[in-house]
Amino acid sequence: MARWRRDRGLQVRMIVTVLLLALVYAAFIAVLTYLGAGPLLLLGLVALLLVVQYFLSDRLALSAMGARTVTEVEEPRLYETLTRLSALANMPRPQLALVDSRVPNAFATGRSPRHSVVGLTSSLVRMLTPEELEAVIAHELSHIKNRDVMVITIASFLSTVAFLIFRNWFFFGGGMQGGRGDGDRSLWFVLPLVAAVVWAASYLLIRALSRYREFSADSGSAVMTGRPSHLASALAKISGLMERVPTKDLREVEGMNAFFIVPAISGSSIFELFSSHPPVEKRIAALERIERELA
Amino acid sequence: MAFRDALDALLGRTRLPEAETERLFAISTAVVTLQTSLDLAPSGRGALCVKPIESSRYDAAMAEIRELLDYSCRETGSTCRLETDSYRFTWVVLEDPDFEDLVTGIHLVSQTLIEHGFGAYLLCAVFRFDGATRVYWIFNFKQGRYYPFVPGPGTTRDSAQEFRLRSLLENELPIEKEVERWYPLWGIPI
Repeated sequence: MARWRRDRGLQVRMIVTVLLLALVYAAFIAVLTYLGAGPLLLLGLVALLLVVQYFLSDRLALSAMGARTVTEVEEPRLYETLTRLSALANMPRPQLALVDSRVPNAFATGRSPRHSVVGLTSSLVRMLTPEELEAVIAHELSHIKNRDVMVITIASFLSTVAFLIFRNWFFFGGGMQGGRGDGDRSLWFVLPLVAAVVWAASYLLIRALSRYREFSADSGSAVMTGRPSHLASALAKISGLMERVPTKDLREVEGMNAFFIVPAISGSSIFELFSSHPPVEKRIAALERIERELA
Repeated sequence: MAFRDALDALLGRTRLPEAETERLFAISTAVVTLQTSLDLAPSGRGALCVKPIESSRYDAAMAEIRELLDYSCRETGSTCRLETDSYRFTWVVLEDPDFEDLVTGIHLVSQTLIEHGFGAYLLCAVFRFDGATRVYWIFNFKQGRYYPFVPGPGTTRDSAQEFRLRSLLENELPIEKEVERWYPLWGIPI
């Protein structure tokens, strides 16, 4: 087992974030319940939607990224790296997908380790050394091992509900007024406001949570490969290049993000190396800390 | 255990499972069946694959292993070498005509790495058998189980033969039940 000191601070921040999120959601549910059963019905409907999204997430994400799953015969070296890391971490080996893109990036998706895919863009594969690629693949495997897709899907569930209410309050408000006669009608127009506040607060908290998950995956990569310096150099390489990528390519990336209409859904389906990410300098500093503890 | 795994996942902690070496010796008894019913003879070669890590403590552990091996090779007349493959994994390759000594040697190396705290970085141990085809028995340290690997030409494997090996040795060897974990290893240096 890796014997270096765990980042307790990171775990405390993560727990606090989740508790705050739970608090925001609890308040939201309290308001919804006060207003009658109608919103609960809506909650059920969105839950159903999310379950469907949860089970389709891998395919949704892959088609949105324009990713193509490849076989072991096509990419023997990448698969061998994936195989060895999966064996070390004692997890089922995910499938590998490639995206033909000039933007170097990597992502992990899938609801469980058994149904997961690691995606790499062609430019990333070209740009990085085998050791750096191994570190990036280990980072994505950590996301899968930590079940980050599930964590964020659950965390953003009520946020999605709030967002939908806020966007469609006329429709929902009108539809639900007949649901319960004794509900306080004057409160109905407060609902979109409450929903907006819930959405904004939970959005920030989810962003924070996914940043912490990124840090965790970085340290996971360091544990798996035993070589934090390779991930650090990969991150430095990618971020350096990303700044110089022409705007046209960046717009292409924007296009891929826009494929997801509800922001919370896009956030939960995909764990990109560089989405809602902490600054690269901070990530590299954290990796260097692990490096010092190793030596 | 399952609870701890779930907690680790929720807190985003990556923990590599420790090595399980107890059942490594099971191959010493299975060797008879391999020889009598399958006409597979041990090649006298075995290897251990480990992921080298960036640490001076790891370098110290490897230096100790090298010393240990040099000493035991002089004693028993076996040979040993260290190799780095193209994925930068280290292979400790042992050759010993006595199969039991070979297994003991592999166990000794794995034990030394575990004592130094690098058990989690043991990928596998491999024993080669020769007959009509080349057969490898791979020991996965995470599960503490063996699985057969029969490579064909290029990156193909003879799954039919592997399943046959499993059915014949099920009672003697702890064999990995999930076939998805029968990871191939191309270019084994033995």
